[in-house]
Parts: sequence; structure tokens; C-alpha cells
Amino acid sequence: MNEHITFRTRREFLRSTILGGALSWTVPSFLANTFAALHAEGADKATQITTGRNGTILVVLQMAGGNDGLNTVVPYANDHYHRARPKLGLSQDKILRLNDETGLHANLAGFKELYDAGQLAVVQGVGYPNPNRSHFRSTEIWQTASDADRFESYGWLGRYFDNACAGCDPTVGVSIGRQMPQAFGARSPKGVSLDNPQNYRFITAKRGPDGEMSSTEESFRKLNQADAAVEENSGGSIGSIHGSVMHAGSALDFLERTALDAQVSSDEIRALASRTDNKATYPASPLGNSLKLVAKLIGGGLPTRVFYVSQGGYDTHTNQTNAHERLLKDLGDSVKAFVEDMKGQGNMSRVLMMTFSEFGRRVAENASGGTDHGAAAPMFIIGDKVKAGLLGRYPSLAPADLFEGDLKYHVDFRSVYAAVLESWLKTRSEPILGKKFPQLEII
Amino acid sequence: MLRRLADTKWDFGTAAHLSNRAGFGGPPAEIEKLAGLGLERAVAHLVDYESIPDSTENPAWAKLDPERAEKLRAARQASEDERRQMFRAWQQGERQHCVELRHWWLERMATGPRPLQEKMTLFWHGHFATSMEKVRDAYLMWRQNDLFRRHATGNWPDLLIAAAKDPAMLVWLDQAQSRKEHPNENFAREVMELFALGEGHYTEKDITEGARALTGWSYARTRQEFIERPFWHDRGEKIIFGKTGNFDGEDFLRLIVAQPQAARFITAKLWKFFAGADAPPELAAALASEFRAAGDNFKPVLRAMFLSEAFYAPDIVHNQVKSPVQWLVSSVRVLERGLPPPMVCVGLTRNLGQDLFAPPNVKGWDGGLNWITTATLLARYNEAATLVQGDLSSMAGAFPNQPNGMQMERRLQNARIGGVDPEKLFTQEQWADKEALIAALEKRLLQGKLKPLQEKTLRDYLAEQGELRPGHVRDAIRLVMATPEYQLT
Repeated sequence: MNEHITFRTRREFLRSTILGGALSWTVPSFLANTFAALHAEGADKATQITTGRNGTILVVLQMAGGNDGLNTVVPYANDHYHRARPKLGLSQDKILRLNDETGLHANLAGFKELYDAGQLAVVQGVGYPNPNRSHFRSTEIWQTASDADRFESYGWLGRYFDNACAGCDPTVGVSIGRQMPQAFGARSPKGVSLDNPQNYRFITAKRGPDGEMSSTEESFRKLNQADAAVEENSGGSIGSIHGSVMHAGSALDFLERTALDAQVSSDEIRALASRTDNKATYPASPLGNSLKLVAKLIGGGLPTRVFYVSQGGYDTHTNQTNAHERLLKDLGDSVKAFVEDMKGQGNMSRVLMMTFSEFGRRVAENASGGTDHGAAAPMFIIGDKVKAGLLGRYPSLAPADLFEGDLKYHVDFRSVYAAVLESWLKTRSEPILGKKFPQLEII
Repeated sequence: MLRRLADTKWDFGTAAHLSNRAGFGGPPAEIEKLAGLGLERAVAHLVDYESIPDSTENPAWAKLDPERAEKLRAARQASEDERRQMFRAWQQGERQHCVELRHWWLERMATGPRPLQEKMTLFWHGHFATSMEKVRDAYLMWRQNDLFRRHATGNWPDLLIAAAKDPAMLVWLDQAQSRKEHPNENFAREVMELFALGEGHYTEKDITEGARALTGWSYARTRQEFIERPFWHDRGEKIIFGKTGNFDGEDFLRLIVAQPQAARFITAKLWKFFAGADAPPELAAALASEFRAAGDNFKPVLRAMFLSEAFYAPDIVHNQVKSPVQWLVSSVRVLERGLPPPMVCVGLTRNLGQDLFAPPNVKGWDGGLNWITTATLLARYNEAATLVQGDLSSMAGAFPNQPNGMQMERRLQNARIGGVDPEKLFTQEQWADKEALIAALEKRLLQGKLKPLQEKTLRDYLAEQGELRPGHVRDAIRLVMATPEYQLT
């Protein structure tokens, strides 16, 4: 773990939070809730003291489906571009000019504002050797930071958790959505995933089929208390647990711990989310909702290092124009709202956002007003401390310079990861990425 | 030789363990019946399944499309726009078939007469992990599934060769396009790394030479069949594992299986799948030599495993995380309820991290503790309510980021899946005596016991309810399913 940053340990976390959970079996619920709320405040303060205001946060935003980089960061003055895209090509009046050659898609007004404010970097021509054009394989390559011909068991963020966050509490990584991204896969799995704090809990049937009210939640909590926590509260009266028929082997231990993590983070997350207000207006889209939740959790003081959100729909093989316009508008506006929210909270200096997509798209448009799977594409890095502007150079669009019709990369995406790990998360990138990648100067 | 389990150790608990691992578990009456057979006959009942008739019908669409040639021709002649439309319509049909296919297979697991055959089919699906996401053809996925079922406990080289020639596999690992001018190494690499030997037991040279040997094995799109294309085959000399010869694909695969490592690799994986833990060295060696002595056949090894003392060791029993498929199928079996409708089943298993016919990659599901995250554990706890109380809240947002996700969710909301009938599961005496009910809940759902404090929780809960009505018992069932213990088998 890096010397600058100390996390609350699991033990501290359990000690501080379980007490609240345990009380709720024996005291009336309003009292328990009050206790939990009071206690959560206290826990926050503790976090602030140990992690300080320099506890940096990474937000990874996946643009799933393969974003058309050429119509996102547009080489509007390039003849090859317009020749390859007679229908889809964006002319000067349809873009937000960054310089004499390059501009942002007109619907990325949110990004343009951030760019002008010195808070947004565009890393141009990002990719990797031997690009794979399969969505899921290329996504996996990005998520595990592997070479194109290797399979890695764990994700790059999971390896970060393994290397730098041993003993952290479970909310060190939070994925907004149902599934855990492959990037979180780890030797010792960490992180929680949720899409909606309201569902991230033990759902009690509102009313049973026979009309009775169900009151199972309290019993559920008791059933899921791990031995350690139970012992803290019940003293020595339960020594007989170890004579149980169930074997306290590793699988049961692991499950008990995860059950505890789930309960504790469920309580914590729902408590935080319910008492934090957003300070910006977000688009009513899945991405907007995801970032809104991330903002609430950051504002509430969840000790998270990495948030993961995803926006789908970029696989624009047919009639790309309208769909892409809609996606980018949603992207730009959602991220802009998030940045405002962070500023309102006073947390913007702690947050870095990074976007990625599994691949860009073919330079030439297809006959259906769309584009097919391609290779290199830009990434966006957003934050107060980023080296704003256009980084790297635009890959050449000259037909002779393309590889099977696709842009060649200049920047290996793992150089971006390396920079994020070293300069932002303050940890050595080599053990996480498997080798030394030159760090791109982004911060 | 593996040491056999003593007959005195054969009882309800060991019979339940065998049923859970070699199959998908079952209600107490079924376990009692298995226990009553005695160890030898119980194992034989599972392993020698060929004598049990299986009259399950194949899905209606699971056959060669007689109009395929015409459709392909029409697609070739269509304009690009029309072709895209055709493709979309075709893909939608395939996706629908795949939903049906998943349900068809789950139904076989839940109610079929040959549990071990289905369990082994599931093993092979995870082993030769092939995904619909790339193959995009439900008929090919069904064919592969059928292949695994037919070869489930058979001969290893036969299965390996059949799997290599299987159309879904030919598409999945790009063998279909491999020709002598530019051999594709994808299958040659994975067959050694993931299917038969493991990393470190072959060289890069073996891969390139193996890929050359495999050239010419391809896929005939119109007939949806394996095809050997002699003009694509590299007839030159190859050196594989230090042996020189004019090898073809079959030679290459037989050379792989003949490697001493091959027997260790596949038997170790089999042990891990059924026992849930790595085999210690002596056991691994014994399994490998049992396999060789049996002429590379799986059935004798499986029989030896299920009869062995090691398989029933205290650190093996109740110590394996149920896979999502195991969780769903064994749950409906112990609850004596039917499977929910196809879309709900897909949602349930997908939420828990296992989408049949769509493993995350060619390595298959990592399994074990990896099934469990805070999100999937809470999902299991809430899906218990889906199965027990018919509560579909656990399904909200089950299909995010999918082109037809909203439509799927609407269909889910309209699904009526029902709950369990607790009157059927417990006797009148158990309804009347709460202690007896707790014991019956534990026996049915856990085939073991909760910890004393957990039992007390359940006792307190039931006491609070006064005279028990079905809803209370449903709640109690759901509570037992929402424990760490229930996630283990």
C-alpha cells in the first residue's frame, strides 16, 4: 500500500459498523436506525481523518459496443476522412473546433466546456498490438490489460486491489450495474456492485400470498452474522458453534465474510445515498443515473478508490448518425453534470474520470449508413489536474497507413493505465500490468 | 487404487452428497431411496445410466434447416440493406431459440432420468467453453450440447476429436478458416493449453506445427456440418512433441492424449469439478493411472471417484459453492416446484453470473468462490424469494444494455411463476411441531444442520408467528435459503 494513503482496515470497518447492525436485533427499529445513522456519521469522520482529502478516486466509464472515435474526435479538415465517409463525415459546421484539424462532435458541448476549462484531455490513437475485432474478446483485453494473444485470469483493477488494497473494506471498488466488470476480477475478490441502492438489500416480500405481513429481515440478519461478529456481541455463550455439522472450511468462511460485506455495504450505501443530495441536474438516462449514484456515494464519504460505470449502445453498424448523436449528447451532458456535482461537493480535485471503448470503428463507412468494427480510438481523461488538451497524435487516415481499413494505434492503452496507477492512484504499475509500460503524461 | 468408502459410512448424509455432486440433489424421499440402495448400487444407478430410458424430445427447431441453401442464396442476392434486415431478423430468431435451448437443458437437469449424464454435459460445456456470442447459431450450440451428452462418460480421444470437428467449435476457435497458406493457431493453442494438457506442457513450436496438422478441418456453412477440405490441408512433414511425421488433425490430437500429462490434466479437472477441491498429489496420481488402466475412458474413473472414501471426506462435503445452474436446478428439486418460465430462468442464472451457452471466454467459468460477490450473494438471497414466494423483484434490471432489454423485462413482469406449496413439503406432524419443522427444513434444504444460533433465530421467528400458515413456512424456507450455508453443497 502506498504510504500516502491509509485505508480503514476491514477490522476497523467491522468494529465500527457491525455494532450498529447487531443492535438492530435487540432494540426497536427506530432506535436502531437512529443509532445506525449517527454511527454512519461517525464512520465518515473517521474516514476523513485517516484518508484525508487526498484520497483520490478513479471513475472508469466504459463506452460499450465500440465507439466511433472518428466521429467523436473528428479530423474534420482531413480529405481522407471525407472521402471515406461521404454520408457520415462531419463538416466544420457540425463540430466544436479544437484546432485547425480536429474538433469534437457537436453534441459533446459538455466535453468542450471541460476542455476549455482545462479539465479534459483527449488521448488520441489508443489501441494495442494485433487488435481483436470481437466485442467480447477486445473488451476482455481492455479489462484484463492483457496482450491480444494472452488470457489473464484477473482484471487490471482487481490486480490493483490485490496489490495495493489488501485489507480494505469491500467498498474500495464499486461497480454500478448488475454484474461485476471483468476488470474487478481478483485473486481475493473485492468490490461491490449495485445498480440501485433500493435493490441492494435483502428484499422482504411486501405481503405474502396469504395476506400476512412478512417480517423476515431481522431473522435474515441474525442468520447471516459471521462468527466473529456474533462473538463480539454475545461473549462466550456460543462456543458450541464450532461443533456444528457444517464445516468451517474456507468456502463457508468466505461466504460468511461476503454476506457480512453485503449487509454492511448495503446498509452503508443506502444510508449514504439517502442523505446525500445531488448538486447538479443529470440527464434521465442510465448513464446519468449511474453517475448520479456515484456522486451520491462520493458525497456521502464512501471510502471507494474505483467506481465503474458503463454506457451501452455504441455498436453502430446501421444508421449511425442519430444513434451516435444521442449517445454522445448523453455522455457529454452526464459527465458535465457529474463534474458540476463534484465541484458543488468540493470533491472535484479528488476525482479522475477515464473513458474507454473496446475498439474504434472502420475508417470507411459501410453501405447502411453505419460503421463496422475497427481498431484505434481516443480516450478521454477528465479531472482538475489532468494535462488538458490533445495528447498524442491523430493516427494517419491515408489509405496506405491503415491496417485492413483501420487506424493504427500510437498509444498502448496500458500506458494510460500505467499513468493512472502511478500518478493518480499512487501505486507501482509494473506488478499490476505485468510489465513496465511507458507512462503517458496525463497528470 | 482408491480406497473405497466403508459401507458403514453410507447413510442419508453421504447419499445426499453423492446426489448433489453427481447430479442435482433431490427431495428427502429421493435421497432416502438412494441411501436404501447401498453404496455400490447407488453409484451404479448414477453411472450406468444407459439402461435408463430417456425419451426427452429435442427442441422442435434443433435440426438442419431444409431451406438453408435457399436462404443463403437469397441473402447473397439481396441489397446490403435487405441483407442487414435479414441478418437482424435471423439473429432475433437465434436469440429466442437460445432462450428456449437454455430452458430445455435446465429442464433435463431438473427432471431428466439421467442426472450424471447432464452433470457431465455441464462439465464438458464449461471445459470446451463455447459461446453463442460468437457462434450465433442456436442449432450449432444444441448440436454441441448433444455431442457432450452422447460422449459424456465415454472415451477421451474420441470426445476430443469429435469436439474438434464440432461445427460450433470450428467457428468458435476459428479452425473453420484455417488453411495451409496461413494456418490459424487459435484451436491448436487452446486444445493444449485449456482442453488437454495445461500451460507449460508444450512449446510454441508444437502449436504452429499442430495448427499445420489441423489445416483443412473446416465448416460447411450450407450443410452446417464439419467438412474436410483436402486442398487446404498442409501435407508437409511436422514435428510435434519431438516426433516427426506427416501428421493430420487426428494424429495431432492423439499425440496430445498420449502425453503422460494428458491423463493427469483431465482427471484432476474432473476431480475438482465433482469434489470441489484440488486433488492431493497421491490422489491425482491414482486417478490418472485409473484412467489409463481404463483405456482413457471416463466411466470407470467416475465410478472409482464416487465409491472412494476421499470423495466423502469431511473437508469435501458441504464445502463447494453451488454454481448458479446448480443453485437453480437443485433448488427447484428440493422445493418440489417446476422451473420458472424460460425468460425468468435466463434472468435468474444470468444475475448470478452463469449464462448457459455464453461462458465469459474460452476458459469457461472460473467457478468456486468466484461465483460469490456481494451483488451475486444478495441476488441469490432475493432469488430465493422468487422461487419460494413467486416474487419477481429480484429480476428488476436483469437485462441492462441489451437491445431488447426493456421488452424482456416487460415479458418478465407479465410472467406468473408461482411459489412453492409448503403443504406438500411437510407432514402434519411437522406443521404442528415447530422443532420438527426446523429439523425437516434443515434436512430438506441443507441435508445438514444450521449453527445453534441460526437455529435459534429460526425458532424465534416461527414462535413469533403463532399458528403457522403457508406464508410463514414459505418465509422460513426462504430464510434458510438466504444463509451462507445454503450456497454450499
